[in-house]
Amino acid sequence: MNDTILEVEKLVKNYGHFRAVDGISFVVPKGKIIGLLGPNGAGKTTTIQILVGITTATGGAIKYFGKDFFKNREHCLQRINFTSSFNELQGRISVWENLLVFSGLYSLKNHEKKIKELIEYFEITDLLNQRFWDLSAGQKTRVNLIKSLINDPELILMDEPTASLDPDIADKTLSLIEKLRKSKGISILYTSHDMEEVTRICDEVIFLDHGKIVAQDTPVELTKRIPMAKLSLTFDQVNKHFVEEFLKENGFKYGLENNYSVTIDTEEKLIPKIIFGISKKGVWITDIEVKKPTLEDVFLQIARGDKYVI
Amino acid sequence: MSFSRIRAIILQELFITRRSLEVIVDLPYFSVQTIVVFGFFSLFLSGTSHLSSANYLILGLLLWEIIRIVQYSISVAVLWNIWSRNLSNMFITPLTIKEYFIAQMLSGIIKTIVIFSVISVIASLLFKFNILSVGLINLILFFINLTFFGWSVGIIIVGTIFRFGTRIQSLAWGLVFIFQPLTASLFPVKILPPFFQAIAYMLPPTYVFEAARASLADPSVKWEYMGIAFIQNIIYLLLSLWLFNIMFNKSKETGQFAKNEG
Repeated sequence: MNDTILEVEKLVKNYGHFRAVDGISFVVPKGKIIGLLGPNGAGKTTTIQILVGITTATGGAIKYFGKDFFKNREHCLQRINFTSSFNELQGRISVWENLLVFSGLYSLKNHEKKIKELIEYFEITDLLNQRFWDLSAGQKTRVNLIKSLINDPELILMDEPTASLDPDIADKTLSLIEKLRKSKGISILYTSHDMEEVTRICDEVIFLDHGKIVAQDTPVELTKRIPMAKLSLTFDQVNKHFVEEFLKENGFKYGLENNYSVTIDTEEKLIPKIIFGISKKGVWITDIEVKKPTLEDVFLQIARGDKYVI
Repeated sequence: MSFSRIRAIILQELFITRRSLEVIVDLPYFSVQTIVVFGFFSLFLSGTSHLSSANYLILGLLLWEIIRIVQYSISVAVLWNIWSRNLSNMFITPLTIKEYFIAQMLSGIIKTIVIFSVISVIASLLFKFNILSVGLINLILFFINLTFFGWSVGIIIVGTIFRFGTRIQSLAWGLVFIFQPLTASLFPVKILPPFFQAIAYMLPPTYVFEAARASLADPSVKWEYMGIAFIQNIIYLLLSLWLFNIMFNKSKETGQFAKNEG
Protein backbone atom coordinates (compact mmCIF):
# COMPACT_ATOMS: atom_id res chain seq x y z
CA MET A 1 0.00 0.00 0.00
CA ASN A 2 1.34 3.41 -0.98
CA ASP A 3 1.33 5.76 1.99
CA THR A 4 2.70 8.73 0.07
CA ILE A 5 0.03 11.23 -0.88
CA LEU A 6 2.21 13.80 -2.59
CA GLU A 7 5.65 13.38 -4.07
CA VAL A 8 7.54 16.39 -5.40
CA GLU A 9 10.73 15.73 -7.30
CA LYS A 10 13.31 18.30 -8.39
CA LEU A 11 10.66 20.98 -8.89
CA VAL A 12 11.95 24.07 -10.67
CA LYS A 13 10.24 27.34 -11.50
CA ASN A 14 11.93 30.16 -13.36
CA TYR A 15 10.42 33.58 -13.93
CA GLY A 16 12.66 34.79 -16.76
CA HIS A 17 16.16 34.74 -15.29
CA PHE A 18 14.89 34.57 -11.72
CA ARG A 19 14.68 31.08 -10.20
CA ALA A 20 11.82 31.09 -7.70
CA VAL A 21 11.89 27.36 -6.96
CA ASP A 22 15.22 25.60 -7.26
CA GLY A 23 15.00 21.84 -7.58
CA ILE A 24 13.07 21.02 -4.41
CA SER A 25 12.02 17.46 -3.54
CA PHE A 26 9.82 16.32 -0.69
CA VAL A 27 6.96 13.99 0.14
CA VAL A 28 3.75 14.36 2.13
CA PRO A 29 2.91 11.02 3.78
CA LYS A 30 -0.64 9.95 4.56
CA GLY A 31 -2.11 11.57 7.68
CA LYS A 32 0.83 13.95 8.27
CA ILE A 33 0.93 17.72 8.47
CA ILE A 34 3.98 19.10 6.71
CA GLY A 35 4.88 22.75 7.20
CA LEU A 36 6.39 24.73 4.36
CA LEU A 37 8.21 27.69 5.86
CA GLY A 38 10.54 30.39 4.74
CA PRO A 39 11.00 34.15 4.53
CA ASN A 40 9.11 36.24 1.97
CA GLY A 41 10.23 35.34 -1.53
CA ALA A 42 11.48 31.90 -0.46
CA GLY A 43 9.22 30.18 -2.99
CA LYS A 44 6.45 28.83 -0.72
CA THR A 45 3.48 30.38 -2.51
CA THR A 46 4.91 29.62 -5.95
CA THR A 47 5.34 26.00 -4.89
CA ILE A 48 1.74 25.80 -3.69
CA GLN A 49 0.49 27.46 -6.90
CA ILE A 50 2.35 24.87 -8.98
CA LEU A 51 1.02 22.07 -6.79
CA VAL A 52 -2.59 23.10 -7.50
CA GLY A 53 -1.95 23.70 -11.19
CA ILE A 54 -2.54 27.45 -11.48
CA THR A 55 1.13 28.13 -12.27
CA THR A 56 3.18 25.90 -14.55
CA ALA A 57 6.48 24.40 -13.47
CA THR A 58 9.65 24.88 -15.49
CA GLY A 59 10.89 21.43 -14.56
CA GLY A 60 10.52 18.52 -12.19
CA ALA A 61 7.70 16.13 -11.37
CA ILE A 62 4.66 16.13 -9.09
CA LYS A 63 2.85 12.94 -8.22
CA TYR A 64 -0.38 12.67 -6.28
CA PHE A 65 -1.31 9.17 -5.15
CA GLY A 66 1.47 7.86 -7.39
CA LYS A 67 0.05 9.53 -10.51
CA ASP A 68 1.71 12.25 -12.56
CA PHE A 69 -0.16 15.49 -11.82
CA PHE A 70 0.49 17.07 -15.21
CA LYS A 71 -0.98 14.07 -17.03
CA ASN A 72 -3.81 13.34 -14.57
CA ARG A 73 -4.90 16.82 -13.53
CA GLU A 74 -8.62 16.10 -13.12
CA HIS A 75 -8.12 12.86 -11.22
CA CYS A 76 -5.61 14.45 -8.81
CA LEU A 77 -7.62 17.64 -8.23
CA GLN A 78 -10.73 15.55 -7.47
CA ARG A 79 -8.88 14.07 -4.47
CA ILE A 80 -7.17 17.16 -3.05
CA ASN A 81 -8.28 20.64 -2.03
CA PHE A 82 -6.86 24.02 -1.18
CA THR A 83 -7.56 26.87 1.18
CA SER A 84 -5.85 30.19 1.62
CA SER A 85 -6.45 33.41 3.44
CA PHE A 86 -5.68 35.12 0.12
CA ASN A 87 -8.58 33.50 -1.72
CA GLU A 88 -12.25 33.88 -0.99
CA LEU A 89 -15.43 32.45 -2.38
CA GLN A 90 -17.80 34.32 -4.69
CA GLY A 91 -18.76 37.35 -2.61
CA ARG A 92 -22.03 38.21 -4.33
CA ILE A 93 -23.77 34.94 -3.61
CA SER A 94 -24.73 33.23 -0.37
CA VAL A 95 -22.70 30.68 1.56
CA TRP A 96 -25.19 27.94 0.60
CA GLU A 97 -25.06 28.91 -3.09
CA ASN A 98 -21.25 28.92 -3.04
CA LEU A 99 -21.16 25.47 -1.47
CA LEU A 100 -23.71 24.19 -4.01
CA VAL A 101 -21.48 25.44 -6.84
CA PHE A 102 -18.39 23.74 -5.40
CA SER A 103 -20.27 20.51 -4.77
CA GLY A 104 -21.12 20.58 -8.49
CA LEU A 105 -17.53 21.32 -9.47
CA TYR A 106 -16.49 18.20 -7.54
CA SER A 107 -19.44 16.24 -9.02
CA LEU A 108 -20.66 15.20 -5.57
CA LYS A 109 -23.51 12.80 -5.12
CA ASN A 110 -25.74 13.55 -2.12
CA HIS A 111 -24.28 17.04 -2.06
CA GLU A 112 -27.01 18.51 0.16
CA LYS A 113 -26.33 15.89 2.83
CA LYS A 114 -22.59 16.54 2.61
CA ILE A 115 -22.99 20.31 2.89
CA LYS A 116 -25.37 20.00 5.85
CA GLU A 117 -22.96 17.64 7.60
CA LEU A 118 -20.11 20.12 7.20
CA ILE A 119 -22.04 23.22 8.20
CA GLU A 120 -23.15 21.46 11.38
CA TYR A 121 -19.58 20.37 12.10
CA PHE A 122 -18.32 23.94 11.67
CA GLU A 123 -21.38 25.44 13.39
CA ILE A 124 -22.34 27.93 10.70
CA THR A 125 -25.94 26.91 10.07
CA ASP A 126 -27.09 30.48 10.74
CA LEU A 127 -24.79 31.89 8.03
CA LEU A 128 -26.09 29.85 5.11
CA ASN A 129 -28.23 32.54 3.56
CA GLN A 130 -25.77 35.37 4.08
CA ARG A 131 -23.73 36.68 1.19
CA PHE A 132 -20.10 35.61 1.47
CA TRP A 133 -18.83 39.20 1.39
CA ASP A 134 -20.96 40.09 4.44
CA LEU A 135 -19.16 37.56 6.65
CA SER A 136 -16.45 38.41 9.19
CA ALA A 137 -12.86 37.20 8.62
CA GLY A 138 -13.33 34.31 11.03
CA GLN A 139 -16.61 33.24 9.43
CA LYS A 140 -15.01 33.41 5.97
CA THR A 141 -12.18 31.18 7.17
CA ARG A 142 -14.67 28.59 8.40
CA VAL A 143 -16.59 28.66 5.13
CA ASN A 144 -13.30 28.36 3.22
CA LEU A 145 -12.45 25.33 5.33
CA ILE A 146 -15.83 23.80 4.52
CA LYS A 147 -15.14 24.40 0.84
CA SER A 148 -11.78 22.70 1.24
CA LEU A 149 -13.44 19.63 2.79
CA ILE A 150 -16.42 19.35 0.50
CA ASN A 151 -14.89 16.64 -1.71
CA ASP A 152 -13.53 14.58 1.23
CA PRO A 153 -9.95 15.35 0.17
CA GLU A 154 -7.05 13.15 1.11
CA LEU A 155 -4.74 16.17 1.06
CA ILE A 156 -5.40 19.84 1.74
CA LEU A 157 -2.92 22.51 0.76
CA MET A 158 -3.25 25.39 3.19
CA ASP A 159 -1.58 28.68 2.34
CA GLU A 160 -1.42 30.79 5.50
CA PRO A 161 -4.99 29.93 6.50
CA THR A 162 -4.83 31.95 9.72
CA ALA A 163 -3.21 35.11 8.30
CA SER A 164 -5.23 38.23 9.13
CA LEU A 165 -7.26 36.43 11.79
CA ASP A 166 -7.30 37.65 15.37
CA PRO A 167 -5.55 35.31 17.87
CA ASP A 168 -8.78 33.84 19.22
CA ILE A 169 -10.16 32.91 15.78
CA ALA A 170 -6.71 31.71 14.66
CA ASP A 171 -6.59 29.43 17.70
CA LYS A 172 -10.07 28.06 16.93
CA THR A 173 -9.06 27.48 13.32
CA LEU A 174 -5.97 25.56 14.41
CA SER A 175 -8.09 23.47 16.78
CA LEU A 176 -10.38 22.66 13.89
CA ILE A 177 -7.42 21.62 11.73
CA GLU A 178 -6.10 19.40 14.52
CA LYS A 179 -9.56 17.90 14.97
CA LEU A 180 -9.83 17.24 11.24
CA ARG A 181 -6.51 15.48 11.09
CA LYS A 182 -7.50 13.28 14.01
CA SER A 183 -11.03 12.49 12.87
CA LYS A 184 -10.50 12.18 9.11
CA GLY A 185 -6.78 11.34 8.81
CA ILE A 186 -6.26 14.07 6.21
CA SER A 187 -2.75 15.01 5.08
CA ILE A 188 -1.98 18.72 5.06
CA LEU A 189 0.71 20.82 3.42
CA TYR A 190 0.75 23.97 5.50
CA THR A 191 2.46 27.31 4.92
CA SER A 192 2.60 29.97 7.58
CA HIS A 193 4.73 32.73 9.02
CA ASP A 194 3.56 31.92 12.52
CA MET A 195 6.16 29.65 14.08
CA GLU A 196 4.09 28.89 17.16
CA GLU A 197 1.25 27.44 15.12
CA VAL A 198 3.67 25.49 12.96
CA THR A 199 5.30 24.01 16.07
CA ARG A 200 1.83 23.21 17.37
CA ILE A 201 0.38 21.38 14.40
CA CYS A 202 3.16 20.24 12.03
CA ASP A 203 4.75 16.81 12.17
CA GLU A 204 7.58 17.92 9.95
CA VAL A 205 8.84 21.25 8.71
CA ILE A 206 10.51 22.12 5.43
CA PHE A 207 12.43 25.40 5.39
CA LEU A 208 12.73 27.10 2.04
CA ASP A 209 15.12 29.91 1.28
CA HIS A 210 15.81 31.37 -2.16
CA GLY A 211 13.79 28.54 -3.66
CA LYS A 212 15.82 25.76 -2.05
CA ILE A 213 15.14 23.45 0.85
CA VAL A 214 17.66 24.47 3.50
CA ALA A 215 16.37 22.36 6.38
CA GLN A 216 13.83 19.60 6.83
CA ASP A 217 13.00 17.89 10.10
CA THR A 218 10.51 17.70 12.95
CA PRO A 219 10.03 21.00 14.83
CA VAL A 220 11.77 19.54 17.91
CA GLU A 221 14.79 18.31 15.98
CA LEU A 222 15.07 21.62 14.15
CA THR A 223 15.20 23.60 17.37
CA LYS A 224 17.93 21.25 18.61
CA ARG A 225 20.10 22.51 15.78
CA ILE A 226 20.59 25.69 17.77
CA PRO A 227 22.77 24.58 20.68
CA MET A 228 22.51 27.94 22.44
CA ALA A 229 20.04 28.87 25.17
CA LYS A 230 19.40 31.91 27.32
CA LEU A 231 19.82 31.37 31.05
CA SER A 232 18.36 33.99 33.38
CA LEU A 233 19.34 33.91 37.04
CA THR A 234 18.00 35.96 39.92
CA PHE A 235 20.13 36.16 43.06
CA ASP A 236 20.66 38.03 46.32
CA GLN A 237 21.94 41.44 45.19
CA VAL A 238 24.83 41.56 47.69
CA ASN A 239 26.43 38.75 45.63
CA LYS A 240 26.48 40.53 42.28
CA HIS A 241 30.30 40.78 42.10
CA PHE A 242 30.68 37.01 42.76
CA VAL A 243 28.37 36.26 39.84
CA GLU A 244 30.27 38.59 37.51
CA GLU A 245 33.58 37.19 38.69
CA PHE A 246 32.53 33.63 37.84
CA LEU A 247 31.16 34.56 34.43
CA LYS A 248 34.24 36.59 33.48
CA GLU A 249 36.62 33.87 34.69
CA ASN A 250 34.87 31.32 32.49
CA GLY A 251 34.44 33.58 29.46
CA PHE A 252 30.63 33.59 29.32
CA LYS A 253 28.70 36.25 27.40
CA TYR A 254 26.25 37.85 29.78
CA GLY A 255 24.19 40.96 30.46
CA LEU A 256 23.26 42.30 33.88
CA GLU A 257 19.66 43.40 33.90
CA ASN A 258 20.00 45.02 37.34
CA ASN A 259 21.83 44.31 40.61
CA TYR A 260 20.07 41.01 41.18
CA SER A 261 19.55 39.36 37.79
CA VAL A 262 21.71 38.32 34.87
CA THR A 263 21.07 36.76 31.46
CA ILE A 264 23.72 34.47 30.02
CA ASP A 265 24.01 33.22 26.43
CA THR A 266 25.34 29.71 26.64
CA GLU A 267 25.30 26.27 25.15
CA GLU A 268 22.51 24.23 26.73
CA LYS A 269 24.92 21.60 28.03
CA LEU A 270 26.85 24.21 30.09
CA ILE A 271 23.80 25.35 32.09
CA PRO A 272 24.39 22.94 35.05
CA LYS A 273 28.04 24.01 35.18
CA ILE A 274 27.05 27.70 35.44
CA ILE A 275 24.46 27.14 38.13
CA PHE A 276 26.76 24.87 40.11
CA GLY A 277 29.75 27.23 39.68
CA ILE A 278 27.87 30.32 40.84
CA SER A 279 26.38 28.45 43.78
CA LYS A 280 29.87 27.30 44.79
CA LYS A 281 30.85 30.96 45.15
CA GLY A 282 28.28 31.18 47.91
CA VAL A 283 25.63 32.95 45.82
CA TRP A 284 22.04 32.20 46.76
CA ILE A 285 20.16 31.78 43.47
CA THR A 286 16.49 32.62 43.98
CA ASP A 287 15.14 32.01 40.46
CA ILE A 288 16.27 30.17 37.32
CA GLU A 289 14.77 30.55 33.87
CA VAL A 290 15.99 28.74 30.77
CA LYS A 291 14.81 29.95 27.36
CA LYS A 292 15.36 27.23 24.82
CA PRO A 293 15.50 28.09 21.11
CA THR A 294 12.17 28.08 19.31
CA LEU A 295 11.30 27.39 15.69
CA GLU A 296 11.25 31.15 15.28
CA ASP A 297 14.93 31.29 16.24
CA VAL A 298 15.64 28.58 13.68
CA PHE A 299 13.65 30.54 11.10
CA LEU A 300 15.55 33.76 11.87
CA GLN A 301 18.91 32.05 11.74
CA ILE A 302 18.05 30.41 8.43
CA ALA A 303 16.82 33.71 7.03
CA ARG A 304 20.14 35.27 8.11
CA GLY A 305 22.08 32.42 6.55
CA ASP A 306 23.49 30.98 9.76
CA LYS A 307 25.45 27.96 8.62
CA TYR A 308 25.27 25.76 11.69
CA VAL A 309 21.50 25.69 11.57
CA ILE A 310 21.46 24.94 7.86
CA MET B 1 -16.18 16.43 -19.93
CA SER B 2 -18.44 16.63 -16.90
CA PHE B 3 -22.06 17.76 -17.12
CA SER B 4 -22.08 18.34 -13.37
CA ARG B 5 -19.25 20.89 -13.58
CA ILE B 6 -20.86 22.68 -16.55
CA ARG B 7 -24.12 22.82 -14.61
CA ALA B 8 -22.29 24.18 -11.54
CA ILE B 9 -20.86 27.11 -13.54
CA ILE B 10 -24.25 27.88 -15.08
CA LEU B 11 -25.76 27.72 -11.59
CA GLN B 12 -23.15 30.17 -10.30
CA GLU B 13 -23.98 32.52 -13.19
CA LEU B 14 -27.67 32.28 -12.31
CA PHE B 15 -26.98 33.06 -8.63
CA ILE B 16 -24.73 36.02 -9.51
CA THR B 17 -27.17 37.42 -12.07
CA ARG B 18 -30.06 37.15 -9.64
CA ARG B 19 -28.20 38.99 -6.90
CA SER B 20 -26.25 41.62 -8.88
CA LEU B 21 -27.68 45.00 -9.64
CA GLU B 22 -24.72 45.53 -12.00
CA VAL B 23 -25.75 42.65 -14.23
CA ILE B 24 -29.35 43.84 -14.25
CA VAL B 25 -28.19 47.34 -15.25
CA ASP B 26 -25.64 46.12 -17.81
CA LEU B 27 -27.92 43.61 -19.49
CA PRO B 28 -31.72 44.00 -19.43
CA TYR B 29 -31.75 47.65 -18.39
CA PHE B 30 -29.15 48.78 -20.95
CA SER B 31 -30.77 46.72 -23.71
CA VAL B 32 -34.25 48.05 -22.98
CA GLN B 33 -32.99 51.61 -22.65
CA THR B 34 -31.18 51.39 -26.01
CA ILE B 35 -34.25 50.04 -27.79
CA VAL B 36 -36.56 52.62 -26.24
CA VAL B 37 -34.32 55.62 -27.02
CA PHE B 38 -33.48 54.55 -30.55
CA GLY B 39 -36.99 53.24 -31.10
CA PHE B 40 -38.33 56.75 -30.60
CA PHE B 41 -35.59 58.06 -32.85
CA SER B 42 -36.68 55.57 -35.50
CA LEU B 43 -40.28 56.80 -35.10
CA PHE B 44 -39.01 60.30 -35.77
CA LEU B 45 -37.18 59.06 -38.88
CA SER B 46 -40.23 57.18 -40.14
CA GLY B 47 -42.25 60.38 -39.68
CA THR B 48 -39.84 62.16 -41.97
CA SER B 49 -40.33 59.63 -44.80
CA HIS B 50 -37.23 57.57 -43.89
CA LEU B 51 -39.18 54.42 -43.11
CA SER B 52 -36.49 52.00 -44.27
CA SER B 53 -33.80 53.86 -42.31
CA ALA B 54 -35.98 53.74 -39.24
CA ASN B 55 -36.45 50.00 -39.59
CA TYR B 56 -32.74 49.45 -40.33
CA LEU B 57 -31.91 51.24 -37.12
CA ILE B 58 -34.23 49.28 -34.89
CA LEU B 59 -33.38 45.97 -36.58
CA GLY B 60 -29.65 46.67 -36.26
CA LEU B 61 -30.00 47.57 -32.60
CA LEU B 62 -32.00 44.45 -31.78
CA LEU B 63 -29.51 42.17 -33.53
CA TRP B 64 -26.52 44.03 -32.10
CA GLU B 65 -27.72 43.18 -28.61
CA ILE B 66 -27.13 39.49 -29.40
CA ILE B 67 -23.40 40.10 -29.88
CA ARG B 68 -23.18 42.41 -26.89
CA ILE B 69 -24.96 40.14 -24.42
CA VAL B 70 -23.17 36.94 -25.49
CA GLN B 71 -19.78 38.65 -25.34
CA TYR B 72 -20.52 40.39 -22.04
CA SER B 73 -21.69 37.15 -20.53
CA ILE B 74 -18.41 35.37 -21.25
CA SER B 75 -16.02 38.23 -20.44
CA VAL B 76 -17.61 39.70 -17.34
CA ALA B 77 -18.30 36.29 -15.76
CA VAL B 78 -14.54 35.88 -15.36
CA LEU B 79 -14.29 39.28 -13.73
CA TRP B 80 -16.99 38.51 -11.15
CA ASN B 81 -14.77 35.70 -9.91
CA ILE B 82 -11.51 37.64 -10.14
CA TRP B 83 -13.02 40.51 -8.16
CA SER B 84 -14.20 38.03 -5.52
CA ARG B 85 -10.77 36.31 -5.49
CA ASN B 86 -12.55 33.07 -6.33
CA LEU B 87 -11.18 32.27 -9.79
CA SER B 88 -8.21 30.22 -8.50
CA ASN B 89 -10.56 28.32 -6.20
CA MET B 90 -12.58 27.29 -9.22
CA PHE B 91 -9.59 26.21 -11.28
CA ILE B 92 -8.08 24.10 -8.52
CA THR B 93 -11.15 21.88 -8.80
CA PRO B 94 -11.26 19.34 -11.67
CA LEU B 95 -13.00 22.01 -13.79
CA THR B 96 -11.39 22.31 -17.22
CA ILE B 97 -11.22 25.46 -19.28
CA LYS B 98 -13.29 23.70 -21.98
CA GLU B 99 -16.10 23.00 -19.51
CA TYR B 100 -15.87 26.55 -18.21
CA PHE B 101 -16.31 28.05 -21.68
CA ILE B 102 -19.11 25.68 -22.62
CA ALA B 103 -20.96 26.72 -19.46
CA GLN B 104 -20.43 30.42 -20.16
CA MET B 105 -21.48 30.00 -23.79
CA LEU B 106 -24.70 28.28 -22.73
CA SER B 107 -25.31 30.85 -20.02
CA GLY B 108 -24.80 33.60 -22.61
CA ILE B 109 -27.35 31.97 -24.94
CA ILE B 110 -29.93 31.73 -22.15
CA LYS B 111 -29.47 35.38 -21.17
CA THR B 112 -29.55 36.49 -24.80
CA ILE B 113 -32.75 34.59 -25.60
CA VAL B 114 -34.50 36.08 -22.56
CA ILE B 115 -33.36 39.67 -23.14
CA PHE B 116 -33.73 39.52 -26.91
CA SER B 117 -37.29 38.28 -26.49
CA VAL B 118 -38.10 41.10 -24.07
CA ILE B 119 -36.67 43.86 -26.26
CA SER B 120 -38.29 42.37 -29.36
CA VAL B 121 -41.67 42.50 -27.63
CA ILE B 122 -40.99 46.11 -26.60
CA ALA B 123 -40.05 46.97 -30.19
CA SER B 124 -43.23 45.36 -31.39
CA LEU B 125 -45.54 47.02 -28.85
CA LEU B 126 -44.02 50.51 -28.81
CA PHE B 127 -42.68 50.89 -32.31
CA LYS B 128 -44.72 48.41 -34.38
CA PHE B 129 -41.54 46.64 -35.45
CA ASN B 130 -41.96 42.89 -35.76
CA ILE B 131 -38.61 41.11 -35.68
CA LEU B 132 -40.26 38.03 -37.18
CA SER B 133 -40.84 40.01 -40.36
CA VAL B 134 -37.27 39.02 -41.34
CA GLY B 135 -38.45 35.38 -41.39
CA LEU B 136 -38.07 32.79 -38.64
CA ILE B 137 -35.32 30.79 -40.36
CA ASN B 138 -33.45 33.99 -41.10
CA LEU B 139 -33.77 35.05 -37.48
CA ILE B 140 -32.39 31.72 -36.26
CA LEU B 141 -29.46 31.93 -38.67
CA PHE B 142 -28.76 35.53 -37.66
CA PHE B 143 -28.88 34.52 -34.01
CA ILE B 144 -26.44 31.63 -34.54
CA ASN B 145 -23.96 33.71 -36.50
CA LEU B 146 -24.03 36.68 -34.15
CA THR B 147 -23.72 34.37 -31.13
CA PHE B 148 -20.61 32.76 -32.62
CA PHE B 149 -19.06 36.17 -33.15
CA GLY B 150 -19.91 37.25 -29.59
CA TRP B 151 -18.24 34.08 -28.29
CA SER B 152 -15.06 34.75 -30.29
CA VAL B 153 -14.76 38.32 -29.02
CA GLY B 154 -15.56 37.20 -25.45
CA ILE B 155 -12.97 34.41 -25.50
CA ILE B 156 -10.23 36.74 -26.73
CA ILE B 157 -11.10 39.26 -24.00
CA VAL B 158 -10.95 36.54 -21.32
CA GLY B 159 -7.55 35.42 -22.65
CA THR B 160 -6.32 39.01 -22.58
CA ILE B 161 -7.53 39.48 -18.99
CA PHE B 162 -5.82 36.23 -17.93
CA ARG B 163 -2.62 37.28 -19.65
CA PHE B 164 -2.42 40.94 -18.64
CA GLY B 165 -4.59 41.13 -15.55
CA THR B 166 -7.48 43.33 -14.56
CA ARG B 167 -5.75 46.54 -15.67
CA ILE B 168 -7.35 45.94 -19.08
CA GLN B 169 -10.70 44.88 -17.64
CA SER B 170 -12.62 47.72 -19.30
CA LEU B 171 -12.20 45.81 -22.58
CA ALA B 172 -14.86 43.47 -21.23
CA TRP B 173 -17.45 46.22 -21.76
CA GLY B 174 -15.81 48.43 -24.35
CA LEU B 175 -14.00 46.38 -26.97
CA VAL B 176 -17.09 44.99 -28.66
CA PHE B 177 -18.32 48.46 -29.60
CA ILE B 178 -15.40 48.81 -32.04
CA PHE B 179 -17.31 46.34 -34.17
CA GLN B 180 -20.60 48.22 -34.15
CA PRO B 181 -19.58 50.68 -36.91
CA LEU B 182 -17.11 48.26 -38.54
CA THR B 183 -19.82 45.64 -39.10
CA ALA B 184 -22.26 48.25 -40.43
CA SER B 185 -24.81 47.19 -37.88
CA LEU B 186 -27.02 50.28 -38.20
CA PHE B 187 -26.49 51.31 -41.84
CA PRO B 188 -25.70 49.68 -45.19
CA VAL B 189 -22.05 48.76 -45.78
CA LYS B 190 -21.89 50.99 -48.86
CA ILE B 191 -22.02 54.04 -46.53
CA LEU B 192 -18.55 53.13 -45.24
CA PRO B 193 -15.40 54.42 -47.00
CA PRO B 194 -13.80 51.71 -49.22
CA PHE B 195 -11.04 50.86 -46.73
CA PHE B 196 -13.56 50.24 -43.94
CA GLN B 197 -15.82 48.34 -46.35
CA ALA B 198 -12.92 45.93 -46.92
CA ILE B 199 -12.56 45.48 -43.17
CA ALA B 200 -16.32 45.11 -42.78
CA TYR B 201 -16.43 42.21 -45.21
CA MET B 202 -13.83 40.40 -43.13
CA LEU B 203 -16.24 40.40 -40.18
CA PRO B 204 -19.11 37.88 -40.07
CA PRO B 205 -21.74 40.20 -38.51
CA THR B 206 -21.50 42.46 -41.59
CA TYR B 207 -23.07 39.71 -43.71
CA VAL B 208 -25.74 39.14 -41.07
CA PHE B 209 -26.70 42.82 -40.90
CA GLU B 210 -26.71 43.12 -44.69
CA ALA B 211 -28.86 40.02 -45.01
CA ALA B 212 -31.17 41.22 -42.25
CA ARG B 213 -31.77 44.55 -43.95
CA ALA B 214 -32.42 42.81 -47.25
CA SER B 215 -34.81 40.39 -45.60
CA LEU B 216 -37.08 43.24 -44.48
CA ALA B 217 -38.08 43.57 -48.12
CA ASP B 218 -37.66 39.90 -49.07
CA PRO B 219 -37.66 37.37 -46.21
CA SER B 220 -36.13 34.57 -48.28
CA VAL B 221 -32.96 33.12 -46.74
CA LYS B 222 -29.75 34.73 -47.98
CA TRP B 223 -27.74 31.51 -48.01
CA GLU B 224 -24.68 33.01 -49.59
CA TYR B 225 -24.33 35.68 -46.92
CA MET B 226 -25.12 33.21 -44.17
CA GLY B 227 -22.62 30.71 -45.53
CA ILE B 228 -19.81 33.27 -45.70
CA ALA B 229 -20.65 34.51 -42.21
CA PHE B 230 -20.69 30.97 -40.84
CA ILE B 231 -17.35 30.01 -42.40
CA GLN B 232 -15.78 33.24 -41.14
CA ASN B 233 -17.28 32.57 -37.69
CA ILE B 234 -15.75 29.10 -37.55
CA ILE B 235 -12.37 30.58 -38.49
CA TYR B 236 -12.71 33.36 -35.90
CA LEU B 237 -13.82 30.95 -33.19
CA LEU B 238 -10.90 28.60 -33.84
CA LEU B 239 -8.56 31.57 -33.96
CA SER B 240 -9.91 32.96 -30.69
CA LEU B 241 -9.52 29.57 -28.97
CA TRP B 242 -5.97 29.27 -30.30
CA LEU B 243 -5.09 32.76 -29.08
CA PHE B 244 -6.80 32.09 -25.78
CA ASN B 245 -4.71 28.96 -25.26
CA ILE B 246 -1.50 30.86 -25.94
CA MET B 247 -2.48 33.62 -23.50
CA PHE B 248 -3.77 31.19 -20.84
CA ASN B 249 -0.58 29.12 -20.95
CA LYS B 250 1.56 32.24 -20.86
CA SER B 251 -0.48 33.52 -17.92
CA LYS B 252 0.20 30.33 -15.96
CA GLU B 253 3.84 30.37 -16.99
CA THR B 254 4.45 33.95 -15.84
CA GLY B 255 2.37 33.51 -12.68
CA GLN B 256 -0.09 36.18 -13.85
CA PHE B 257 -3.05 33.80 -13.57
CA ALA B 258 -2.46 33.37 -9.84
CA LYS B 259 -1.65 37.08 -9.43
CA ASN B 260 -4.88 38.23 -11.08
CA GLU B 261 -6.64 38.12 -7.75
CA GLY B 262 -4.10 40.45 -6.18
